[in-house]
Order: sequence, then structure tokens, then C-alpha cells
Amino acid sequence: MAIRTGDNGQTRRNFLKLAGTMSAGAVVSRHTGEIAQALQQATDGPIEVAWLQGQSCSGCTISLLQGQYPTLEETLSEFRMELTFHPTLMAEQGEAAIESMSKSPDVLVLEGSVPTQIPSAATLGERPDGTSKPLVDWIKELAPEAEYVIGVGNCAAFGGWPAAENKRGLHDVGENVTGARGLQFEQREKNGVLGPDFTAGSGLPVINLGGCPPHPDYILLTIATVLNGHKPDLDRYQRPKPFYEPLVHDNCKWRGYFDRGEFADRPGEEGCLYKVGCAGPYTNCDDQTRLWNDGTSVCLNVGAPCIGCMEPGFWDRFQPLDKEVEQQNIFGVDVETAGLAVVGAGVVGIGAHAARKAMGYGTSERDSDGNQSESAVEERTASDADQQSDTETGADKPE
Amino acid sequence: MVEVKIDPTTRIEGHHGMELEVEDGQITEARSTMKMFRGAEIITVGRSPRDAAQLTGKVCGVCFICHRIGSSRATEDAAINAGAFDGIPEHAKILRDAVEGIFFLWNHAIHLFALVGPDYSDAVADTGFERLDPLEGEGYQGALENQRKLMQALAEFGGRAPHPLAFVPGGVATNPDVSTVQTVKSRLREVSNWLGPTDAVPDVLENVQNGEFDPELGEGLHDVVSILVAAAREGAADLGSGPNRYYSNGLFREPESDERIFKRGVYRDGSTERMTKDEIVEAISEHTEYSYYTDDSGGAPTEAKPPDPDPNKEGAYSWGKAPRFDGQTMEVGPLARLTISGYDPFDLRANLGGGSDESNTLNRLIARAQEVLIVRDRVLDLLDAFDPNEPLMADFPDDYTGKGVGLWEPSRGTLSHYVDVRNGEIERYQIITPTLWNIGPRDGEGNPSIIEGAIVGDEVADIEDPINVMRTVRSFDPCLACSVHVDSPEGSYETELKPASPGGMTDAGNG
Repeated sequence: MAIRTGDNGQTRRNFLKLAGTMSAGAVVSRHTGEIAQALQQATDGPIEVAWLQGQSCSGCTISLLQGQYPTLEETLSEFRMELTFHPTLMAEQGEAAIESMSKSPDVLVLEGSVPTQIPSAATLGERPDGTSKPLVDWIKELAPEAEYVIGVGNCAAFGGWPAAENKRGLHDVGENVTGARGLQFEQREKNGVLGPDFTAGSGLPVINLGGCPPHPDYILLTIATVLNGHKPDLDRYQRPKPFYEPLVHDNCKWRGYFDRGEFADRPGEEGCLYKVGCAGPYTNCDDQTRLWNDGTSVCLNVGAPCIGCMEPGFWDRFQPLDKEVEQQNIFGVDVETAGLAVVGAGVVGIGAHAARKAMGYGTSERDSDGNQSESAVEERTASDADQQSDTETGADKPE
Repeated sequence: MVEVKIDPTTRIEGHHGMELEVEDGQITEARSTMKMFRGAEIITVGRSPRDAAQLTGKVCGVCFICHRIGSSRATEDAAINAGAFDGIPEHAKILRDAVEGIFFLWNHAIHLFALVGPDYSDAVADTGFERLDPLEGEGYQGALENQRKLMQALAEFGGRAPHPLAFVPGGVATNPDVSTVQTVKSRLREVSNWLGPTDAVPDVLENVQNGEFDPELGEGLHDVVSILVAAAREGAADLGSGPNRYYSNGLFREPESDERIFKRGVYRDGSTERMTKDEIVEAISEHTEYSYYTDDSGGAPTEAKPPDPDPNKEGAYSWGKAPRFDGQTMEVGPLARLTISGYDPFDLRANLGGGSDESNTLNRLIARAQEVLIVRDRVLDLLDAFDPNEPLMADFPDDYTGKGVGLWEPSRGTLSHYVDVRNGEIERYQIITPTLWNIGPRDGEGNPSIIEGAIVGDEVADIEDPINVMRTVRSFDPCLACSVHVDSPEGSYETELKPASPGGMTDAGNG
């Protein structure tokens, strides 16, 4: 199958030139065709990938199958990737499946969280004594042997869904029913199964691709980036910045409604969805511009409030999901008042920017060549604002 | 006697293993072990009923639409029973049916090509038909391309797929316009063209049996029929025999009536019994004697507490519970639906599979293929009947108190969500999934589950290559994310299973 090239048909030479002048991740996020070409040449030999599933729903795998540029088929065949283990896709089963798995993979991918309180709540194959082998054992064995370790999805990165709170404390199993953790994080703390100081063979820590699920481009292009020898620029939660730096709120199609203080009373109505639980002002990812399913749509475009699935601490951080996220947390100002104040100013175009400044956050914007503009650098990024809320105000959403 | 363990069983959704006892080449005992537990029901308790649909919708990244709708129906039912809600708008019902139908097409395509296909691709390839070679085959690649189109159609309404967020309690939180509907229809027509015309089935069957291929009669149809013919030649009709007892919640309402295309009820002792929702709810109970949950975690799902994990429980071997209908095991899924509804298009099961109502590994595949054709036409009808200008959401208050049940019928079979809401907070939550019905553990009487019973008695010609066991496991299209998990008894024998495909994933990079 032919590799699709970018619209401008750049050659590998141009790609590498680009890569030399800006962060690799930034290249990846917008020059898919070139990445494909370059990767094909960079990986002359087979690349061994092992993809394990912990407490997963397979949603990340299904997301992966929706990738278009490149497709999974292209990635596997043209990039010479050997997917030595993938429980949903591989031909083998049983002992043969375990044996085919690379025990020192170039890339170790985990989908799903790792249960630590009840290790038997996710197992694969057997120990020598014939008992089932917990995922946590596999991770501790394989991760130090891997060149890169990637946590695909919110569960593998931060604990995600299975780590959501046992709110009534049922059955004496603790707040986290099975003790589900991510590879290097547990929610927003660096308390995952691999420990805070873990680095893979490449020297990189676990690369986290948050999301429930993450966009397929995030998965395939991150793998492409590291295999091409580039170290992606990671944020404080170890997510590649080009994907996870833009703020959902800034690129939302309803943003004008927010700035004018026009809020919908229920999902699907005309207006900003903030009051029915939208976590867009607190959530970083480029889905609003990248769109899903080959540019088809995105949650907010069909009237579904953002639930913050790309963020560590999702689920409980934004729960209940259908209620307005607390007003007095990250920004320190009343969001509705800020919006109405902008209407008072009467100039919508300026208003959006003014509102952003008023609330003390902005986004890291780049000019058309991909270089960061000075004005954007001066503004605090959303993740900075997030950090501040953790360390200074401690006024995050109450548990 | 030798003990054979297969772990993981792969090319299914989720963590699963089979433990078999084999004597004189015949399986004498089988245990189906589900190997994951997350605690969905426990996590759901104490939350807003609206959040239950979000949370349980993400129980499974494969059956995402099904759980979202099943959960939404449960909380809506509770609000209706509390006198706080009149029900969702008519066109929201139509749209829910339509997206579930699109999901059926997507799921069956993935299953037939990517999950089950490789089990027979050697056999297909022997006929000179290499389209189903995993990765390299044109048929396989065409299926992957077309599943993406179906997901795009789902994303038009839901925002993205998997895990679209627009399907919520009260209806559908999206305002599609006429052009959105047209875009979805055009996507479906593309997939429909790839599949081929329904009435071409007899000609395609003849082509495939003669080793011929006519793209004008449908590429997808040739591929699917090739899998069926290969499975028939491999003797799949003699494998995995169930008790010929089936259960379906019914699906695809006729607009303006409560009649369903796929009927609601059970089939046992050779005849169909139509049933009401109340009769179904009344008949179901769950057993936990062989599950890693405390013994008192079972019972009627309308009353039982959320499952209490007991990972070291003596004698237990699965994280799944054992649901029973009037105390009996019931097979669920496409074969159950079609048998209960009396459908056997082109008599494929009667002719190829040894009888229309016969529970076996081949008929499960045939029924899935037949459903693709039935549902393909049905989805387009539903979209014709759907008016995007009609209301799609209805309000109801959050602070109600009531109990509700959401019966739904996803591709894999019956799904039911049970909720108890008090003052706007979930007090109790239970889910029974299709996979629990089909591949759960034994019940309190020691009766094996559908799959455990189906595998016993089958022959294992080569103990180091029990491929037929895997063919039967995969014929159920198991999906364990929503169910599941393990510490198994010590094994006395380990086996190595060979792949049954002409070019598995591990060969992908060597070409």
C-alpha cells in the first residue's frame, strides 16, 4: 500500500531540515506525510513492538484502527513494525502468543491500567508455577528492557476509569477498587507502578498519551516520532506537547457564546456548554482542530460537553460530568461574570482575547511556520495555570 | 487425561483463558476463565444517574454505543417509574436504533474479517482465495477501510468514535441537520456497495464454491461467504454445539408501533416464546459460586448488591458471574436473534449449517453474516424515517427516586442495566452482558455455561494445536471488557498453539 504524502510533497531532506529547526513533536503533529516517508527510511530493520492490555476496554485499540494518516496497516507494513504481541489483533494464541512477544521490545505499549491492590484483576499467561501472571509483573519485567515505554490512553497513563473513586466505600475495597494505577502516574501524582524516576532505554520517561481514548494520530505519530530518533517535547504530565498543549476551550466552536455569556441549559442546545459540565477550559488537546474519524467531527461540535478525558485525574476531577465545573478553581474568577464583562465591552473579536487575559491564561500559539510567537510565549499556558492551581491555590475541584 | 490451558485466547476483546481436560482425544471438561475485574458497578454507585451512562458507556471500547444506550434506558426507566419523566422523543428512539444498526455493521465486519477470519484463512487460501490474508489481503484491507467509514458515520452523530459522547439519558444530545443525515447515508451506501447486493448471495455462494470471484456481485459478500464456506469445509457445523436455547431482548422497532424486526423472547424446546419486559426481568438471576465474588453477591439483579470481590475464593475460577434464565443457560447473539425471529435468509443455516435453529460454531458465523444483510437495509430505512428537525432530547429532573431496567440488544446479544436511584444518586447498579451469558462460569448447580458445554465432547485431533477450540471461542464474538477475572489451578500440561493464518501479524514487517 502506498504511503500517502503530505499536501506539499516534502521529501525526507526537507523533513529533517524542518525537524532541525523546531521540536520534533511539532513536526509530527502537522507533517504526517513527511514523517511517514522519513520513518520508512529510518527503520530499515524491523521494529519490535509489544502492546499489552491491563484493565482496558480496548477502546484505545479501536481508536488505533481508525487512524488515517498513516493507517495502522501502513504503519505495520511500510514502517516495518513487528507487532510481536497484541491480544486483539495477533494470529497466535496461548503459549505461542506469549512466546512471540518480544521480551526486549523497541516500544512497549500499555493500554489499560495496572491493578496493584488486586493484582489478579488483570493477568496474562502463567508464572512458572502455573498460576496466572499479573500484569504488574509483566510491566516490571518488560519496561526496563524497552527502548521506549508508551502509556496509551488515560488508564495506562494516569489510572483512568478503573481508578475512579468508590464513592460509597463499598465492600471495604478502598477508594480505588482494585488499586488501579498508570505506568508512572496515579491520577496527577507521580506514583505509578514504575516509580517516579523510571526511564526507558532511550532515557525518556514513560510517554503518556492521555485520552479516553487518545486520538489515533497521537498513538501512531508518537510511535513514529520516537522511532525516527526524535525525543518529543513532553509536558509536566509527560504528554507530547504538540498534541496536548492547545486548550479545548480556545478552539471550541462555541467559544463566541462563552465570551458573550450565552450558555446552553442542556447538551445539544445552542450556546456554550460550560454550565452543563463542559471541562473544555481545563482540558488540553488539539482535538478541536484535528477532529476525529478523518476530520469528521469532535464531541463539542455535536453538542456533547467536553468531559476532560485527556487530563490526569479524569474521572473524578470533573465529576459529576453534567454539572458546571466549579467556578472558583483554576482561574480564580467567576467565569460567567468574565464572559458577561466581555459582552459589556461590546467588541467580540477583541473580547475573546480580553477574556483570556482577564482569566489569566492563554494558549501557546504558533505562527504559520510553526515557530512560537513572542506574544504567545508571554502568555501563561493552560498547563502553567493548571500547575499553579496545584501548587499555589490548591483550589482545584473539591473531591 | 491431560490438562490444556489456553491463555490468552486472543483475537477476542479482553482477557480470557480456557482450561480443558482432554481424554482420548476428546474434551471431557472445560472451564472458561474471565481474567479481568475493574468494578464498574461499585464505581457507579453514589454518582449521578446521568454520569452512569458516561461511565458505563466506557465499560467497553468496542460496544460503546450499546452500554451508553443500555444505561440511559435504565435511568430513564427509573425516572419514568418515579413519575418524573414521560420518555424520550420518538425520533431520538429512531436515531438510537439507527446508530445501533450502524454499530452492528461495524462490529460484524471487524469480527468476521479481523477476529474470526484468520481462523479460516488457511482454508480460504487453499481455495486460491488470498483476499483474506491478514494485513496483505485485499479483502482484509477493504474491511479495515470500510469499518473506518462506519465509524465516521457514527462520529457524524456522536462527535467521535469510539466513545462518542452525544448519546445520553433523555435522548441524543446532538442537532444533526439534513446534510448530516445525507452524509451518513452516503457513507453507508459506500459500505453497502462494497458489501454487494443482498439478492446476489446464491450466485456468490456458487462462485465461492467454484473458486471464482466476481467483484460486481460485491467484494465484501465474496469475502464473507468465503469465510463461511471455508468454515463449513473445516467442519465447523460439528463444533461447539449448544443446547438450542436462545434469548433476545429484541431490537429495531418499527416506527409507530412496538413491533420489532428482531423479536423479544426466548426459544427453547423447539418453540419461540414472546415475552414482555417484566417477564424477562423476573426470569433472570445471577450465580457467583464459581466467581471471585462473595457468595452473597448473586441473586436477582434488581435486588442484588454490586459484586463484592473475593480474589482468593476457594473453587472460584472466573471474574464473570453466571446469569441464568429460569435457572437455565441461554445462548445470546445473532444466532439467538435470528432463531427467535424465525429468519434464515437464503436458508443458509438450514443448508450449510445443519439446521436453522442448530446451535453450532458455523451457524454463529452464518447468522452474523445474515444479520449484516438484514441490518444494512434496516439502517437505511430508519434513516429515511428519521427527521432531524424533530426534538431529540427531553428533560427530566435529577432528584428523583426510582428503580429502572434498561434492556437492550447489542450485536453480541442481550444486555441489561439495572439501576436504583435515590434522591438523584445511584444506590445500586448491575450490568449483565452478552458475554456473561455465553462464556461465563458454572452456576450454583454446577451447570456449565454455554461455551463450557459447547466445547465438551468436541474432539482435539492434535493436542498441541486445538485450533477448533479457538474457532468455537471466537464464534461467540466474546467481549470481556464489561465482564470480567484470576488465579487458576496449577496445570499439569502446557501446550503450544500454532497460528492458523498464512501471514500473521508477526510477519507484517518482513515483506
